[in-house]
Amino acid sequence: MLRRSAFSVYIVLIVATLGACERRGGCTTAGCGTLIDAAVVEPPTLLPPSTEDIVANDIAEQLFLKLADVGMSTNTVGDEDFQPLLAQRWEWDGPLTLVFHIDPRARWQDGQRVTAADVEFTFNAYNDSIVASPFRPKLQRIEKVTQRDSLTAVFRFREKYPEMFYDAVYHMRILPAHLLRSVPREQWRTAPFGRQPVGDGPYRFVRWQAAQSIELVADTTFFLGRPGIRRVIWRFTPSLPVAVEQVIADQADIREQLVTPDNVERAKTAKQLAIYPFRGNVYTFLSFNQRAPGDTSKPHPIFGDRDVRRALTMAVDRASLVKSTLGDLGQVPPGPISALVGIWDPDVRQLPYDTAQAARLLSLHGWRDHDGDGIRDKDGQPLAFHMLVPSSSGLRKQYARLLQQQFLAIGVRAEIDELEGSVVAQRTGSGNYDTAILSRSNDPSPGSGITQSWTRAGFGGSNFGRYYNPEFEHIVQRAISAPKRDQARTLWRYALETINADAPGIFLYALANVGAVHKRVDNVQFRPDSWAALLRTWRIPPDRLIDRDRVER
Amino acid sequence: MTGGVWLLRRLVASVAVVFAVITFIFILIHLAPGKPCSENLDPRVCILLTRQFGLDQPIAVQYWRYLVQLAHGNLGMSFSLRRPVWDALVETVPFTLQLAGAALVLDFVVGLGLGIYQATRVNRLPDLMLGNVTLFIYSLPTFWLAPILLLVFGEKLGWFPVGGASDPIFCPQVDSLYCVADRLWHLVLPATTLGVVGAAGTARFQRAAMLEVASQDYVRTARAKGVPERQIVLRHQLRNALLSFITRFGLAFPFLLTGAVLVETIFAWPGMGRLAFDAILTRDYPVVTASALIASTVVVAGNLLADILLGFADPRLRVHAAADADIVTA
Repeated sequence: MLRRSAFSVYIVLIVATLGACERRGGCTTAGCGTLIDAAVVEPPTLLPPSTEDIVANDIAEQLFLKLADVGMSTNTVGDEDFQPLLAQRWEWDGPLTLVFHIDPRARWQDGQRVTAADVEFTFNAYNDSIVASPFRPKLQRIEKVTQRDSLTAVFRFREKYPEMFYDAVYHMRILPAHLLRSVPREQWRTAPFGRQPVGDGPYRFVRWQAAQSIELVADTTFFLGRPGIRRVIWRFTPSLPVAVEQVIADQADIREQLVTPDNVERAKTAKQLAIYPFRGNVYTFLSFNQRAPGDTSKPHPIFGDRDVRRALTMAVDRASLVKSTLGDLGQVPPGPISALVGIWDPDVRQLPYDTAQAARLLSLHGWRDHDGDGIRDKDGQPLAFHMLVPSSSGLRKQYARLLQQQFLAIGVRAEIDELEGSVVAQRTGSGNYDTAILSRSNDPSPGSGITQSWTRAGFGGSNFGRYYNPEFEHIVQRAISAPKRDQARTLWRYALETINADAPGIFLYALANVGAVHKRVDNVQFRPDSWAALLRTWRIPPDRLIDRDRVER
Repeated sequence: MTGGVWLLRRLVASVAVVFAVITFIFILIHLAPGKPCSENLDPRVCILLTRQFGLDQPIAVQYWRYLVQLAHGNLGMSFSLRRPVWDALVETVPFTLQLAGAALVLDFVVGLGLGIYQATRVNRLPDLMLGNVTLFIYSLPTFWLAPILLLVFGEKLGWFPVGGASDPIFCPQVDSLYCVADRLWHLVLPATTLGVVGAAGTARFQRAAMLEVASQDYVRTARAKGVPERQIVLRHQLRNALLSFITRFGLAFPFLLTGAVLVETIFAWPGMGRLAFDAILTRDYPVVTASALIASTVVVAGNLLADILLGFADPRLRVHAAADADIVTA
């Protein structure tokens, strides 16, 4: 009896202790608040030039400032729609020289001033082949960056074009030269700075718990104004379904991309969540390899023929596929672009869905079912090929099966090879494939993405299928250099129609983004190219604070 | 002395097994198709990185370099995590040990208890009911059980956290009693997933072992002598039935470690299993090999421990081991 009573006392004590300790509350004013983002991928490093990782970019938005940034319009032409950040102002000094005046209030979080030397250092680092920055190709038209005085950085361009300002500010986050100069460039990818960065942005780095979370806290001395929310935590979860479950179960506040219609519906049922649709920056396509697999000197026996590619494109009912798989969450792209890009135009001419014409075109080129097995053949070779698809993508696997059926309807056999992402990357990167369902993300500017993925500049790079049409490249160059936006738009439209007619791939879908954020958060704005770009302006009114917002540490 | 020789022999054999495992894994992962670059990384950047990490060298050269590094206690640099492999392991192994330890306790304490309870009530209602329940649980696949527990007890009922190892706001570090409780709370679903199926198997296994011993002469003699039933079960039946239990304990380690890969991934538990799984997908060779090194060491050590425990539990095995050692030393 006595032992039982003692046991009960222990239990009561433990419960009382647990209840009493730790739930440290206190912060109740504006400027309190904690946001937890349910992130699916843990970044490898937070050093901006060394990674193109999406989550790393979201976190870097809070830590490292650009000189200026695109506005909500995501207009990349000229400089009128750009917002000043590190640069207080700028001016053109002749057609090829852009001068930035750095805000004298800007400080690194270790107290040092941000100077023009940092800007020059940053440009040189991004351009260093040893650093191997993925952003390097996007800076090729900037000849050099110099400092006129400690707060004046001068950009010198190789040529004049409408997106000069965009190239100067969008791809680079300014880095602290005084902290990185001593780090050998070949060690930048693994530099400890990348796991414990010191920035100049609205938030300071607090801690990185491997495979768990990264925590940032508001810099109350930030020169552009104190951020509205005190603490932001990226919590890493290895799968999207679990990340979505976390926001639905109110254990996280933000899931910026719900990705599937099913997830959107589930999030809508959670009372505490508000849903925010915004333009997506990814398009997905079936890439036709135009060179023989593993031998780029010869044309592909099937896809080297433009008319066969056109026929296969016409055999696919892309609109129905999007409707049945994605509902309102996707659209058929008007070419190799995402909805983020300003030249998106649903009226761009595309090959129609016309199975009769597709069949006629194949027959015209000798692809007929000579042996009656249901599959077309020519010179004893069946019209059959392999389709690579990353096994990690449920949506792309679903699309592969749907495409397989639609091809079979016109007598074409497609074998699906579901492989790990790393194997797909190796096979496509080396040109060792027939077709592959691939995704590409876009900057707000069409120029760099299309150039890298669909012109000769991307051979050996991201133009896996080695598509080449001199006329298309000429139009793209003219569009990039067009001095006026309307003129550029017309030329881009012409370029898209040209590539659509060549059918180097079937442009399947462009995902719309839908984010979910806890309703207690006010002033939520998702900038389409980077959802976290305006995070510092989000707020939680004092009367909506919950337990996790008040915690003091 | 002979026991010492036996132990030495087992240790040498264990080191050889671990060496064979890492060699096998090293060769296998390097021969597997794929490369340590993501789908969207420009292949030109990928080639540059491949050179930086020495992956353009022949596999024999890479293997030799790896062995030299290993001999210096260096596990290499992770390609995907961009940090020393050792640092990543130091952070993740404790989480796997916590998960596997909790699952092991659940597996063997609950399993042993249920097995004994069933054996003492053989063919009666509790035994029949528990027999069916354990069979049902034993037949549940972990890959199904994990998401179901997460959906029901995490999302729907909200009783347990949906993934993770701790509350990132209140307990970023386990530095108080509250945070210990928080860690245990986060551990419930993954440990249950990993341990409950094993517990059901252990219960069935232990029940059978107890019943086999129950028909032995010494048990009947004890009962005939009027020894209390509780004493018969605990002293005579259980001790003799423990041999198979210890063998099962030794064999549980590989299953726990392989199970941890799935459970850690689904429950976002930041352990070595998840680290190894991600490393395989991203072809992070140093992490894959180091994980295999740790896993094989744990498995070999577990089996060695089981053998030693068997020696303590059954003196006959000590005699056989000593005799074997004598033959070898002669």
